[in-house]
Amino acid sequence: MNRWRQSVVEIQTRKRQVNESERAHVALSKVTACYQQMATSLGSNIDGSFLREELEETRIVAHKICSGLHRRLLTLLTEMEQGQEDKEQVERLWVIFLSSLENFQQDLKKVRALQEIFPLTQRKDRQALVNTGYAGGTSEVAARAAMVQTPWLSIEETERPDMKTHIKEIDVMLEEMLQRVNVPLWSIEPMQEVDGVQEEDESLEDIMEVEVVSQNNISGCCQHYNCKVGCLLCLLS
Amino acid sequence: MTIRSDRDHGQHYRPRMSCLKKLEAIVVQMQDPSTGVKGSEQKLNVTTIPHAIAGQDIVAWISKHMNMDNDEAQAFGTMLAAFGYIYPLQDHKKLVLRPDGSLYRFQTPYFWPVQKSKAEDTDYAIYLAKRNIRKKGVLDAHEQEEYNKLHNWMNHKWDFIVMQAKEQYQAGKTRQKADRVVFDCQERAYWIVQRPPPQTHSAMDVLDRHIDPNTEEKKPYDYYRRIIIYTQQAVMRSRVKSTVSLGALVKYMATFMNHDPFLVPCLPSNPWLTDDDSYWELNMADVEVPTKMRVERWSFSFYELLNDPRGRSDFKIFLKKEFSGENLAFWEAAEELKWGTGASMSEKAEHIFKTFLAPGAPRWINIDGRTMGITVKGLEHPHRYVLDGAQTHIFMLMKKDTFYRYLKSPVYKEIQKKAISPVPHSFSDTQLQQNTRNRRLSISPIITWQKEQEEKAKAEAAAGPIDIKKLMASKLDRK
Repeated sequence: MNRWRQSVVEIQTRKRQVNESERAHVALSKVTACYQQMATSLGSNIDGSFLREELEETRIVAHKICSGLHRRLLTLLTEMEQGQEDKEQVERLWVIFLSSLENFQQDLKKVRALQEIFPLTQRKDRQALVNTGYAGGTSEVAARAAMVQTPWLSIEETERPDMKTHIKEIDVMLEEMLQRVNVPLWSIEPMQEVDGVQEEDESLEDIMEVEVVSQNNISGCCQHYNCKVGCLLCLLS
Repeated sequence: MTIRSDRDHGQHYRPRMSCLKKLEAIVVQMQDPSTGVKGSEQKLNVTTIPHAIAGQDIVAWISKHMNMDNDEAQAFGTMLAAFGYIYPLQDHKKLVLRPDGSLYRFQTPYFWPVQKSKAEDTDYAIYLAKRNIRKKGVLDAHEQEEYNKLHNWMNHKWDFIVMQAKEQYQAGKTRQKADRVVFDCQERAYWIVQRPPPQTHSAMDVLDRHIDPNTEEKKPYDYYRRIIIYTQQAVMRSRVKSTVSLGALVKYMATFMNHDPFLVPCLPSNPWLTDDDSYWELNMADVEVPTKMRVERWSFSFYELLNDPRGRSDFKIFLKKEFSGENLAFWEAAEELKWGTGASMSEKAEHIFKTFLAPGAPRWINIDGRTMGITVKGLEHPHRYVLDGAQTHIFMLMKKDTFYRYLKSPVYKEIQKKAISPVPHSFSDTQLQQNTRNRRLSISPIITWQKEQEEKAKAEAAAGPIDIKKLMASKLDRK
């Protein structure tokens, strides 16, 4: 019954906001994934001021998306009345947002710790970098992160906090979110299915194993791909 | 959202993990281009990857750098691998350092076992989902189990996990092929350390301390309550002035000084020193004529008299003359109840009741009404110490009254006269040696015990029916 009381404009704005939030989530996942990928190179032989700058940039982008998403979801949830159709959807988005925030905050903490362990201020610090076997850089990853656009059209002004403040901010945000909105977390039903393989990609075992074969001079008993794997797995176990 | 308790069950309270900081320093030293470990290249089918180090090189570097021998260096290297600072490129599941040509690589610092953050289940779920997305069915049995478990527990997060796994997978694909392989190896090694396959020994498996051993534990309420109760009871105990207790101690020492074999040589001679056991022979329980020292000892206290079997029998003779043997008989019966077997207890208790306590009993003892009442009531459910009150009363009666009469009696005086005082031995060396050779076993305690039982049976048989007559006679006498 409430629906008839709301004006059409309100319904449309709400729908738009929900869609924006969905897209924002996808964007946030992208950014956080790229951030993590870049963070794994910290302290390795490809670490450098370039990498650190890229990390900063990505973090700022993530922060922008996070704050915008936070604002929108909060308004959506607080304005929600009983029996709204998109209640489930919004709650689902809320839970996903909470999880991504926590995950991202963990990465932030790790990055901060690593940046303290491996400061690159002096020349000799470069000797301390761990030879992990990386050859290329992470510029492609950074580019992917940079390509992510915030889905809302309005340009919002946001501060650019530094690392420490950012972490604290997320803490505050999380606590505030848990207190302000009463969403039972366990009632969320996941909607996405784990797809099967999008492309046939080699598993790590396949790539690695070839080397063992060449070292031990064992030729595959037959040329069949699976058979090769089978021989080697029993060698390893 | 994820419940983070105040008690950090992670490594905050695992001071053993302080070795990790030192390990990190060592690993950094290994990186030094001039003095560190020499790396080579790993040739794969698709590409070559630098920075592969051989196990033997690692062992050699460690033993040189830390001045150890090879075995220790190998053990140290295995710890490095077990904690996840280096990972093997072949046989990735066994985190051991092999001192041969097998290749290893350093783990990136992002995946180092850091003190403050635990490997979260969410991350593990994302990792497993990523592998599943990449190629279905590649998970091990235990990994599949964990995956299903996590899917169950974190069902509400599953959208996020799947989305993140997909995105991470896509982000990884943008890198070069060689780097992708390296990253995958690293991630896999990290999770083998953090979530070891079943039945493997993991270096991260330390006892989860739930409290910080350095902080003071808040004592619970019960702890203080017990202290208070104890102190209250201690305060309530009866106190004796030290002058009094010391005086008693001095008196005891003065009385018994001559009877202590450490201070005064015992007569005739100490068997432990001279191997001559006449001392023991003269002081046996059933000897006819006791020694003077022994008799003197009986006069010290009633307790000494009762404890010495010869003294007790002497006392019994005296009591027979006095016709008041029931007190001692009751006391002995009570002792028997206290020290006897549990099975015979109820039987003994009944016998005692019939003989000593029942009104009109043959050997009725004269104790005050209150004690009698309590004892009779207790005998309904007899236990070892049910006669304790009555026994103490009787003991006190005997001590205060009968004992002094005994000491003044002709029985005692006679035995004092009869008592012998053995002559002290003085053995020469040769005699001592002969004594040593003449040592014999004494009578077996079984025989002694049998003799005792026989005597007891005789005494009981003698004591039984006559007592009634005696009682009647004595009652008539007194009237």
